[in-house]
Parts: sequence; structure tokens; C-alpha cells
Amino acid sequence: MAEILKNRQLQIAVMALAFLLVFVPYFIEVPALEAASTKLITITAIVNAVTLILALQSQIRRGLNIVQRRQTGWYFKAYMIITMVLMVVFAFFGRETGPYHWVMYAVVNPLSSVNYGILAFYMASTAARAFRARNTQALLLLTTGFIVLLYQAPLTGAYAPWLEPIALYFGDTFGMAAGRMFLISVTVGAIVFGVRVLMGKETSVLGVGKEEV
Amino acid sequence: MSDNSLMKTLATYDRRWVYLVLFLVVVGPLLRPIGMPISVSPDTRQYYEAISSVEEGDKILFTLNTEFSGYNEIQAGIVATMRVFIEHNTKICVAVGHPEATGIPELVFNQLRSELDANGYVYGEDYVILGYVMPNEASVASMSQDFQGAITQDWLGRSIDDTFLSEINTWEDWDLIADFTTGLATTYLLNHFALRGTPMTVNCIGVMIASQKPYVDSGVYLAILQSMRGGAELEYLTGHPGPGLTAMDAFTFGHYMLLLFIIAGNVGYYGYTRQQRGGG
Amino acid sequence: MATPLFQVPLIAEGRFIGLILDILIFALVLYYTSGDKKIYIRRVAGLDAIEEAVGRAAEMGKPVVASYGLGGFTYWTLAGLSILSHVATLSAKTGTRLIVPTGGSTESLIVRPVAEEIVKTAYTMEGVPDQYNPDDLPFLSGQQYAYVGGYVGILQRTRPASTIMTGSHWSDAMNIAETSNAVGAITITSGAYISNVAALACASDYILIGEEAPAAGAYLSDDPSQRASIRVQDIFKWIALGCIILGLVLSNMGINIVENLLST
Repeated sequence: MAEILKNRQLQIAVMALAFLLVFVPYFIEVPALEAASTKLITITAIVNAVTLILALQSQIRRGLNIVQRRQTGWYFKAYMIITMVLMVVFAFFGRETGPYHWVMYAVVNPLSSVNYGILAFYMASTAARAFRARNTQALLLLTTGFIVLLYQAPLTGAYAPWLEPIALYFGDTFGMAAGRMFLISVTVGAIVFGVRVLMGKETSVLGVGKEEV
Repeated sequence: MSDNSLMKTLATYDRRWVYLVLFLVVVGPLLRPIGMPISVSPDTRQYYEAISSVEEGDKILFTLNTEFSGYNEIQAGIVATMRVFIEHNTKICVAVGHPEATGIPELVFNQLRSELDANGYVYGEDYVILGYVMPNEASVASMSQDFQGAITQDWLGRSIDDTFLSEINTWEDWDLIADFTTGLATTYLLNHFALRGTPMTVNCIGVMIASQKPYVDSGVYLAILQSMRGGAELEYLTGHPGPGLTAMDAFTFGHYMLLLFIIAGNVGYYGYTRQQRGGG
Repeated sequence: MATPLFQVPLIAEGRFIGLILDILIFALVLYYTSGDKKIYIRRVAGLDAIEEAVGRAAEMGKPVVASYGLGGFTYWTLAGLSILSHVATLSAKTGTRLIVPTGGSTESLIVRPVAEEIVKTAYTMEGVPDQYNPDDLPFLSGQQYAYVGGYVGILQRTRPASTIMTGSHWSDAMNIAETSNAVGAITITSGAYISNVAALACASDYILIGEEAPAAGAYLSDDPSQRASIRVQDIFKWIALGCIILGLVLSNMGINIVENLLST
């Protein structure tokens, strides 16, 4: 059975069938196909949710292995396992009050916010390090960025309102043009990539190197 | 200090000075706000007009596609927008796109308790919190095509049959989607709701503005509220100062400090680095 | 608002032209991938630099850190896996240690086994299966910022010679790229979102912008027919450009035919 499931042609055929089941109803209005598509989408959502359970099992198993063998950093794995189990237990006591609520608001959320806030420092150091007018194009880019950054500071808009139309012009023309072309090129690239996947040319999707196909 | 030494310092300073100075110029105004004036951008005015055009009884899907970290940036916009919807007596359904954001609706409604009471809001009749119901595109697609099949209970496990959500079946039944995003399920909402015709507004973080503005220009989104600054401008327009306006002083100083460092780096580059390379 | 020019029976309103364009893409990819068409493709600096980056790591005796993104099975992640396959093959050939931090979102959990198999297969194909170390593919966390913390820690401790960060990275991209730069590694990234492109262009040594990453699998392939399929992307960009220019000229003359046609 395992050998049958590992067959590459079968995997590609299943992928192609799933693709058609979602692609066709988008363009052709056939109620039965739409219902089947919705069911397939719902099944996918459930499978995704079940992978969480799989991940939990995988992480605990691997963590216990590392703790037992006292590998480097085993105490971090022990801490991770203890917190994972505790959070699962806490969830049974309710999510809107109690220990789960406390851990989310007192520990997880502030830690998450700190990491997000650190981004500002990294952005600042990158800007200070990398924004150099090395040539004419870089000078133009720097000037544009300077004007837009200056406008973004709220005080500038209050005391130098003449800057607003210039900064908005950059964003609404050059910025938007770049955004649109990025969208178009990425979308086309994704479709071409998808066709290669359906043809079996992109073997990374199936988790093997090219030589094994 | 000689000129050459100054130029060398400007060209080669340790990045930790940037971190320290940025920390000081941001924390100072947060602890002691100065109250500098701000201007209101055309995008925020357009957003304010869009959310103010809702009518009593309109059904609004209020989606929070943000981790808790992102909430800090768009908090002002979330609270200000919710206030407008409550003042217009709309029916609000809050859905969340990340597990960390499940506590945000509670925070928002706690801040707006007086507005909820003043407008006679009752849970179930006027507002419902669904919780984390948008983990992936499949779930958003289900919500758009068969809402009753996809969603059967709110985040506390109570049935939605006796709420105003019993009247929602497909994307056509929503009067507006107000999305607050750091980039999670927004594309899915775009694909399965907005592109099918459901009116949608978006409040996004700063780095997403460039990617979202084309949709506003093409009419897919009604309007965009840009990051913390947009939230502060909305607080100003609605007449309810909050965390957004409080942070604008720090926002301004942080930007100016960054510009100073860029100037300093370029002065150092031309005064030292370029000469070193040219002489070498 | 645009008005569709006509309505085709059975086809959903406003999607006929989209269907035609999709079928055209299919047909063109099939045409270009059949036979041995040799198409000129410009050099993509970021992809060419991968070999240089792994070589640098081999010379310095330092590891390579490569990641394929945080998301689930999106095309960005698949593109990242294509590049990971190439990096793993090069690492196996040169005897360089390859570290692949995984995780970052709940969807990444289903991608991880695929990544493990790709790296393991690469080492097996090069005849050095004993060099594959599963502990070098640590699952850091299912949460983005915890993943960043672990990734940055790996960079700080191992001080790699090269960091190859492709696939779908979100706000973590900046943290990782800047830390990689700080530890002195060659940094090759891909900008999956335009939001990230500007920041990564400053922080990285090489960047793959837009569709350069999804094209990587074909670009790095020895198969000329796969490389030829990249031509389809260029053809459609020319079509888009033509529509934009034609639409601009005609709409300024008060004729909205291009807009209405594309809405059909």
C-alpha cells in the first residue's frame, strides 16, 4: 500500500484532480462542482487543523529524546515540553479567564510585541548603514526616500503642507506602479510554476530530488 | 577632534549607537507626551467617509488578521473604527485570523464599554465574537460560500442560531468588511469577498501600504487606513484621542532621528569612506 | 466601474478573459517545455551567488544556514524548497554543514517533512548519507517571533559564512537579514512581498525580487525545456505592458474598451 501511495504519477494525478476541482468551479458555474469544491476546501481546513496534533506529538517525542540523551541545550527542550503540556492543560480550565488567559496576556503577547518592536531598531540600523548615495540612481532613490520619510512624520505635515503633494505623488505613481508590476509578475510566475508542478517538472513539491524521479 | 576623525566616526559608528539613540528619542515622548500637531491625510479622510457611510442595522464583518504584536501598531484604528460602527448602531461580527488575537475583541469592547451601553448594545443581537475562525484560505472560502455550514457557534461555544448571524449565508449578505491586518487572511478575504463585490476597507501596518494601495486605486477596497499614523488621524477626526495620538510625538522624533543618521552616514561616506577607496 | 463586453454562457461573469489567459499560459508552458528549445535567460545574480555562497562556506569551514520560508504549501514555499534542494546538493558535494531552521507558522508543520526528505535525498544522491544530520533541521517554533528568536540565535552562535533565506518570510525577514549581515555572512534573500523587498534590498547582499524565486527551480535546472518555460513569464509581462499602454492611450481618448474587455 505504501508503495502505491509513493508512486509519483499517482501523486501528480491526485494534485491535478484537486486543482481541477477548485479551478473549474471558479470559472464555470455548475452547482454540483461548486458543492464538491466547497467540501474539498473544508476537508483541507480540517486536515490542516489535525496537523497541529501531529506537530504536538512530533515535538514532544523529539524533545523527550533530546532530554533523555542529555544533548546540548536539553534543558530548553524540557522547558518547552513542560510549557506545551501546561498550556494544553490550562486550556481545559477556560480561555477567557484563568491561567491560560494569564499566560497569553502576561507572557506570550508581551514577548511577541517585543520581537515586533525590535524590528524598528533593525530597520533603523539598516537604513543608517545602507542608504548611501553611491551613484546617480542611488542619489535619486535616497532623495525620494528622504522626502517620503520626512512626510511620514506627522509634524512635517502640519508645518510643511507643501511637502504632502510631492510625497503622495511618489507613492501614488512610482510606488503604486512598482506594487502593481510586482503583483502581475509574481502572479504570472506563480501560475507558470503551478503548471510545471502539475506536469511533474517541479519535484521539490513531492519532496524528492530530481535524480530520484 | 580633527575633521578626518569626525568623518571616520560618522562613517564607521557602531550600530548600537543607533539602537540607543532611537530608544531614547522614542521612550522620552512616550513617557512625557508633548502634544505636537498632526495633519490628516486624504487617505484617512476617505477611510473616515467610508466607515461613516454605514447605516443602522448594516451587518459588518470586523476581521482582526493580526498577531498581538501587530495590534500595538493598528490598535488606534481598530478602536476608533469600532467606535464609529457602534455610534451608527450597526450589527458587528468580530472574526479573528490568528490565535494570539483571540483576546483583542475583549480588549476593544472593554475600552468601548460606555459606547456599547449608551447605544444599548446586547451581545448576540447587536454584536457577536466568533473567535479564531480564519486559520487558512479554506475556512475563509467556506465562510464566503456557506456561512451557516462553516460557522455554527461563537468563540464561547454558544450557537449563533439566535443571533443576527442567522441571516448571513454568503458574501452578499455582508454590508461591509472592515479588515485590520498584518497580512494574514487579508488576501483570502480579498479573493473570496471583496472581488465578489463585498465592500471592504483595510487598516494595515506600515510595510503593507505599498502592496494594498493598488487595490484601493482600482476600487476593490473602499479605503485604506495607514498604520499607526492613520489610526491617530482617525482618532483626531472622530474627536476621541487615544493611544495613536499619544504615540505621534515619538513617531515624529523617531523619523527625524532616522533621517539624521542617514545624513550623518552619507556625510561620513563622502568625507571618509570614498576618499579611502579613492586613495587606495 | 468597468462593464463586461459580453457574457459567455456557463462562464461566471467577469471571468472569461481570465480563463482564456490561464489556458494560454498552460498552452505556452506546454509548448516551451516540449522539445529542446534553447532560450536566452539573463543572469539572475541572486541565484548565481548561491554556488559562490556555499563555496565560501566550504573554504572558511563554516556552515551554511538556509531556510525555505514560514508559510504552508504556497508557491513561495515550494520555490524555497526548490532552492533548498539546490543548496543541499551543493553542500553535500562540498562537505559543508547545512543548517535549515524550520517552523514559523502552524502551516509550516506540514512542510517540514518534505524539507527533511529533500535534504536527506540530496546527501544520499551525492553518496554521503552519513553527513546528513537531522538535528541540523531544528523545528524552532510554530510562532513567527519565537522562530525569529531561534533563527537569530543560530546565526549568532554558529556564525555561518552564508545565509540563504528564500521562500515566504514576513516581518522576520528584516531581523534575520540584518543579523546575518552583522555576523559577516553573505546574505541571499527573496522578497516574497513588496513590503519586504525594499528592506531586504538594503539588508542583503543579493535579493531575488518577484518571480525570480518561483523561476529558481527552472533556472537552476539542467533541463533546457524547464528553463524555456521561464519565457512564458516574460511573454505575459509584455502582454500586460501592452494592455497598460493601450488602455492608457484609449482611456484618455474616452474609450474604455480595454478596461471592459479585461472585465469580461
